[in-house]
Amino acid sequence: MKLRAIKGIIIKDLRELRREKMALFWIFIFPLMWITLFGTMWGGQSPPMSLDVGVVYTNESSGFTAYDVVRIMENVTLEGVHIFKIKEFSKKESGIDALKHGKIDSLIIFPSGFGGNISAGKQAKIYIYFDKSDPQQYQIVRGTVMGFFSEMEKKMREKRLEVQLKYMEAHIPKDIAEYNISPEAMREYLIASAEPLKVEEKEVSGKNPTPIQFYITSFIGIQFLFATMLTIGSGTLEEIEKGTLRRIAASPATAWDFLTGKMLSTFLIIMLSILVGLGYAKLVFGETIVPSLFGWLIIFIASVFSMSLGLAIAMVTRSIKSTTAVVNFISMPLLFLAGIVIPESIVPSWARPIVNYFALGRALKDFRLLEIYHRPTSEIMPGFILITVETVAVFLIAISLYNWVIKRLEA
Amino acid sequence: MKAIEIKELKKSYGNVPVLKGIDLEIEEGEIFALLGPNGAGKTTLIRILAEGLSYDSGSIKIFGEVLNKKTARFIGYVPQESISYDLLTVEENLKFYADLYDAPKERIYELIDRFALPKKKKAKELSGGFRRRLNLAISLLYDPKILILDEPSLGLDVPSRRELWNLIGEFKEGGKTILIATHYMDEAEVLADRIGIMNEGRIIALGTADELKALIGEESIIFVEGFLKGLEKLRNEFRLVEKESGARIHVKNSKESLPKIVETLVKSGSEVRTIKIEEPTLEDVFLQLTGRSLE
Repeated sequence: MKLRAIKGIIIKDLRELRREKMALFWIFIFPLMWITLFGTMWGGQSPPMSLDVGVVYTNESSGFTAYDVVRIMENVTLEGVHIFKIKEFSKKESGIDALKHGKIDSLIIFPSGFGGNISAGKQAKIYIYFDKSDPQQYQIVRGTVMGFFSEMEKKMREKRLEVQLKYMEAHIPKDIAEYNISPEAMREYLIASAEPLKVEEKEVSGKNPTPIQFYITSFIGIQFLFATMLTIGSGTLEEIEKGTLRRIAASPATAWDFLTGKMLSTFLIIMLSILVGLGYAKLVFGETIVPSLFGWLIIFIASVFSMSLGLAIAMVTRSIKSTTAVVNFISMPLLFLAGIVIPESIVPSWARPIVNYFALGRALKDFRLLEIYHRPTSEIMPGFILITVETVAVFLIAISLYNWVIKRLEA
Repeated sequence: MKAIEIKELKKSYGNVPVLKGIDLEIEEGEIFALLGPNGAGKTTLIRILAEGLSYDSGSIKIFGEVLNKKTARFIGYVPQESISYDLLTVEENLKFYADLYDAPKERIYELIDRFALPKKKKAKELSGGFRRRLNLAISLLYDPKILILDEPSLGLDVPSRRELWNLIGEFKEGGKTILIATHYMDEAEVLADRIGIMNEGRIIALGTADELKALIGEESIIFVEGFLKGLEKLRNEFRLVEKESGARIHVKNSKESLPKIVETLVKSGSEVRTIKIEEPTLEDVFLQLTGRSLE
C-alpha cells in the first residue's frame, strides 16, 4: 500500500470538490436547506389543534339536553384554544355528507329523547361518526372526542352519586350495628364503585426528541442515501471513463490504493458535511446532537455500508448517468420506507422490516435511540451487530465487483 | 543496448485478433515511430507497454528485463487524451501525479519551468498545446528512460505541433528512447530514426524512411492537381490515391505514362492546374504494401 499515493488521491478529491459547485450544493447546501426548511416548519411550538365537529340534535324541554352538551363542548379550551368548533346540522344525512367530504372531522348525533333520558337518570345514547380514511387523523379525532365524553361521563357519575349519597345519608341510620358498616364506609364504597380507579396526571420534563433533533438525524440519513453513494460511485466511474484509473493502476500505486484513497476522501467529505450540519443546527436553532463515541461508530459503519452499496451499483451499471438514476430510484422510497425522514411509528407495517433490517434504516434507528432517547448501549448492540454484518457483506460484494471491473480494464 | 524487445506478441479482444505476432526491437536513445492507420493495433501495443494491458502470448523486455510493475517505471507514457484533472491547477495536477509516482517534489517545479506551464491555471483553461505539454510533464515526473507518445500531435495546430516536435528532439538529445505511435507520415518522417509500418495487427515493414521508400522500387509518382474527371479510367491501369486537391498516380515509367494520363483527363473534361513528378512518400509505401491509403 502506497501511503503517499493514497494521500495524493484524498487531497486531489478534496481539491476537486472545493471547485465543483454542484457537488458542494448536494453535499453541503442541500442538507442545510433541509434542516432549515423542516426546522422552521416543525421546530417551533405548535398550538393545540382544534376539530370541526358536526352535531345533530332535537330541541327538548327537559332539564339537561343535547343543547347543553353542545354548549359545554364549545367551551372546552386548551391553552386558550377552543378544541371543538361546532357545526349544527338539521339532518343526519347532511352531517354524514359533510363528514365524507372532509368539511367536518366528526359527527355527533343526539337521538330524540336524549335529554329526557339524561334528566330521568336513565341511560342516554349518542352516535358518533368518524372518517377512517386517514388513520392518523382518525386516531387524533377519535381520541379527542371520546376523551371529552369520557370526562363528561365521569362528571355525570359524580353528580349522580352526590344525589344518591345525600338521599342515603338522609334515610339510612347513622350506624348499622348489625353489619358493622358506618355511613362513611358506605360512602367510600359507593364512590369507589362509580370510579374504581382515580387516575391523576402528573408531568415530568422527559427527554423526548425535539423536531430539530429528529431532522438532524434525517439529514445524516439523507447524506448516506444520496451524497455518499453518489460521491464514491460517480467518482470512481469518472476516473474509469476518463482513463485516469488505468494510469493510476499502471503507476507504482495500485487500483486498491486508489479505492482506499477514494473511500477515505468520500468518508472525510461526508463527515465534514455532517459536522457542518450539526454546527448549523446549533447556530440557527440553538440545539443539535453531539454524538457519543458509539454514535460516531454507527455513523462510520453506516458510511462504509453506503459507500460499498454506491460502489457496487457503479460497478454494475458502469455509467455515471445510470448510477445516478439507480441510486435515486433506490434512495427516494427508502427516505420514507426506511424511516429516514419520517418516524418509524408512521412507517406502514409492511415496510417496518426495512427500518429494522436494512442497514441504513437500522443504523439511523439505533443512532436515534442512542443519541436522542439515550438508550443504553446494550439495547443498541443487536442492531449494531446486524448492520456490521450487512456492511461486511456488501463491502465484499462491492470490492469483488470492483476487482472484476479492474480486470476487464487490464484485459 | 535494446530499450524495448518484443517477441511474437499476440493479443485478441474476444475472438478478434488485434496483434497477430509483433516482433520489434528498439535501441536505447532511438526515436522509433509506429506508423499505421486507425485500428492497426498501435494503441493496443502501446497500452500493453505502458498501461499493463494483458496480452495472450509473446514476451516483452525492457532494458533486458521482463516487463512488470518495476520495469514499467522505465516507461513514461503520454496518451492521446488529456490525463489532467480539469478542476485542478497545473501545479496541483503535477503534485497529484508526483504523489502517485513517488516523484521528488522539486521535479514538479523543474518541469513547470521547462515547459513554461502556467502553474496557477486550471487544466480546463489551458489550450490544446499546453494540455499536451502538461501531459508530457506528467509523464516525465519520474524521469523515465523511455517515453511513449500516442498520437502526440493529434488535434494540435501547426505551431504547437512544431513546438512539440522540437521538444521530442530535445528528449532524444537528453538520451531518452522514444516510441511514437502516429498516423501522420510527416511526423514519422521528420522525427523518427526508424519507422515500423503497422497494418491489421502486424508490422509489415521496418526501417529508416529512405529504406522504406526504396521498397517502392522504380516507381514514380505523378501528382495532378485541379478539377479532375475521368480518374476511374486511369484506375484500371495505374495505382492511384485521390486527395482533396488532386490525385497521386503511381507509374512505372513517368515519361511514357504522363502524356497518356493528361490525354485521358483532358478528354474526360478535367481542368488540370498542376502536374508534377514527385518522390514517393511513406504513404505511397503504405499503399504499395497494403493496397490502401493511410487515412
